[in-house]
Amino acid sequence: MEKIIEVKHLSKKFGTHEVLKDIDFTVNKGEVVCVIGSSGSGKSTLLRCVNLLEKLTGGTILYQGDDIMKDTHNVEEYRKHLGMVFQQFNLFNNHDVLSNCMVGQIKVLKRTKEEAEQTALEYLNLVGMAQYIHAKPSQLSGGQKQRVAIARALSMNPDVMLFDEPTSALDPEMVGEVLKVMKDLANLGLTMLVVTHEMGFAKEVANRVVFMDQGVIVEEGTPEEIFNHPKEERTKAFLKRTLD
Amino acid sequence: MGKKKEGVFDVRKKIGYLFSMFAVIVVLISGCGGAGDSKDDTFVVGMEAGYAPFNWTQSTDANGAVKIDGSADYAGGYDVALAQKVADGLGKKLVIVKTEWDGLIPALTSGKIDAVMAGMSPTDERRQSIDFSENYYKSHLVLVVKKGGAYDQATSLQDFSGAKITAQLNTFHYSVIDQMPGVVKETAMDNFSSMRVALQSGVIDGYISELPEGITAEAANNSFKMIELEDGFQTAEEDTDTAVGLVKNSALKADVNQILAEISEEERADLMEAAIKNQPAETDTEDDADSGTVIDAKDSSLSFAWIVKIVSENGPMFLRGAGVTLLIALVGTIIGTLIGLLIGVIRTIPKPDSKVKRTLLKIINSLLSIYIEIFRGTPMIVQAMVIYYGSALAFGVDMNRLFAAIFIVSINTGAYMSEIVRGGILSIDKGQFEAAHAIGMNHLQTMKNVVLPQVMRNILPATGNEFVINIKDTSVLNVISVTELYFQTKSVAGNNFRYFESFFVACVIYFIMTFTVTRILRAIEKRLDGPENYVVIQNQMQVQAVENTVKREED
Ligand SMILES: Nc1ncnc2c1ncn2[C@@H]1O[C@H](COP(=O)(O)OP(=O)(O)O)[C@@H](O)[C@H]1O
Ligand SMILES: [Mg+2]
Repeated sequence: MEKIIEVKHLSKKFGTHEVLKDIDFTVNKGEVVCVIGSSGSGKSTLLRCVNLLEKLTGGTILYQGDDIMKDTHNVEEYRKHLGMVFQQFNLFNNHDVLSNCMVGQIKVLKRTKEEAEQTALEYLNLVGMAQYIHAKPSQLSGGQKQRVAIARALSMNPDVMLFDEPTSALDPEMVGEVLKVMKDLANLGLTMLVVTHEMGFAKEVANRVVFMDQGVIVEEGTPEEIFNHPKEERTKAFLKRTLD
Repeated sequence: MGKKKEGVFDVRKKIGYLFSMFAVIVVLISGCGGAGDSKDDTFVVGMEAGYAPFNWTQSTDANGAVKIDGSADYAGGYDVALAQKVADGLGKKLVIVKTEWDGLIPALTSGKIDAVMAGMSPTDERRQSIDFSENYYKSHLVLVVKKGGAYDQATSLQDFSGAKITAQLNTFHYSVIDQMPGVVKETAMDNFSSMRVALQSGVIDGYISELPEGITAEAANNSFKMIELEDGFQTAEEDTDTAVGLVKNSALKADVNQILAEISEEERADLMEAAIKNQPAETDTEDDADSGTVIDAKDSSLSFAWIVKIVSENGPMFLRGAGVTLLIALVGTIIGTLIGLLIGVIRTIPKPDSKVKRTLLKIINSLLSIYIEIFRGTPMIVQAMVIYYGSALAFGVDMNRLFAAIFIVSINTGAYMSEIVRGGILSIDKGQFEAAHAIGMNHLQTMKNVVLPQVMRNILPATGNEFVINIKDTSVLNVISVTELYFQTKSVAGNNFRYFESFFVACVIYFIMTFTVTRILRAIEKRLDGPENYVVIQNQMQVQAVENTVKREED
């Protein structure tokens, strides 16, 4: 299997508080990896370290075998390959739906307006938001915003999509529409790294599940292994707490 | 697809227009700045153009009046007539520069003018910084008081005991008040216009003046009376002389003296008589017949008819003043906002990793802080003096006055706006920055495409506020003789002696400008916010086959 992202001995401190401790893990091409764990265990921080929104305190990340922590490596260049979906959507407030999906393509990827619009519409169509291209973010519901945010990330044609609890800020009735879009993407063979509390989604869609607790990876394996035959006590305790 | 495309592209276009408009204005301004007269064939004379009958401002070239440099108005009076003779004698073209009294000597020493001919006396004090020609007019001191008041029968200095007396700042008129026993010496005033207002309103009982001004005041306002004392003030010869001010060791001095010597005493007296007769307030009273409303110009009571008359006679002057005010305020606000945006972006650059860059950024940031603190911490009127005259003295730069005005307003606004912008940037949700960074934008792209448009929308009310403040505050630029509305109004009032009415007109014009600007900005805000509802695209879009998407994915 072709490795896309390799995290090696990653550690992260906020001041003296060590949030991530010697993390090692890999994302392979075409794989859906779900990260689960209780709140405060460092899942978001891990994801943010992967696309360098947080500075690493130690360790390194290889992208397709290339060390991105080398001085010669350009952060913006690297981030082009990663799509990020935030818990709080973070749509650009000054752009309407269509131009949220176009501005990055034009400014970062230097695509023409026509190309950008074509691509944006394709993905807005895919997430079922093509009807709303002239709406402003403030005029959309949470689920709609998150679908636009996904389309925005996809419009950059990234190699890997990162999701940080994309449904946690949504009203329950909107969770389904977003999860459905994510399942579609998984079926399309997209490489995805997903932090989630949706155990059903992880079970159904993930190739691999990573369980984190207190800044370390406690256990990882197939959904079958993690959900049905967890080895570690902490994993069992977490699953018992969340599934009940 | 996409018949209606809104969003970034539209805003970009709007900003584009703004920039091109701005560029045009800059070109225009630098155009007038560049049109510097070659100093050799002109004789540039500075005067207040507000000290009739020596010098005044009028709107036509009647009676040999000469165009005021950088303005559409004309200067007339005894000084102008004499200046014309000197210029002719020198074989040069006369250029009149209108300058505040206190700005005359700085203007001369900084080389902005060649000579001062402003009814100025060659005192020892002044001789320390400039040279003077021979005398070109001799007068004596008088007092101007209220007719029918307690002092209108005075004949000696003693008779003024208990009176509140003042005189013009930085003149010997003010120091001779000490020779009057028992008077209350009021604070000196900037110009005769103010003293006439003060006398009219009863703030003072009288002011000290010289013969020509006294005759003028009496003629212009029938509630004034000029008192000539039999046993008057002790004055030095030089004090009642009037001479041409020149820079030290001026090459012109010998020629000027030569030309003045050829003008006889009678000719001088004739010219002064003509000046007293021609000064604006007097002629105004004679041609009321065709203005429809018959007004007694000498009537000192307030009247609506006067306002109508002032507007109909000086309309273009007010409008030009308002135009200049608006131009300075608009361009100053735009440039200031751009400065503010630029500084705001620089001051929010995240700490770079490299040590060299970090130090550099720190230095730049401290320089910017110094700039902001200095310009926020000093009055604009003081900055105007320092920059306009300082640049000439220190670097020999002869700044165009309009350019200087716009420059001063711009950097002032910039200092305020940069703090407003910084606050605006800090108030933008961190998620906006992160989302922009996450799709690969750098700091500049993030600022330009995501953050600043939101900041601009948020600071638009503050910017509008700045614009309104600038419209009002440009009035302080009259100290460097920019022909903005306040300066023009002062000229109008200086000619007609109707202070309340003239400034009332200015007041209305200022209010119309600020009110209109406020409304326009509201409308712009509304437009920027876009419609409250969006249109759902009804006709189903051609649905792309999911397979297509997959293919792109795999490319
Ligand atoms: N910017 C920050 N500064 C200091 N501490 C932080 C910061 N971000 C997260 N943390 C801390 O790091 C820990 C892990 O947080 P996070 O990665 O958000 O956990 P999770 O996403 O698993 O809920 C928490 O204890 C949190 O308080
Ligand atoms: Mg989290």
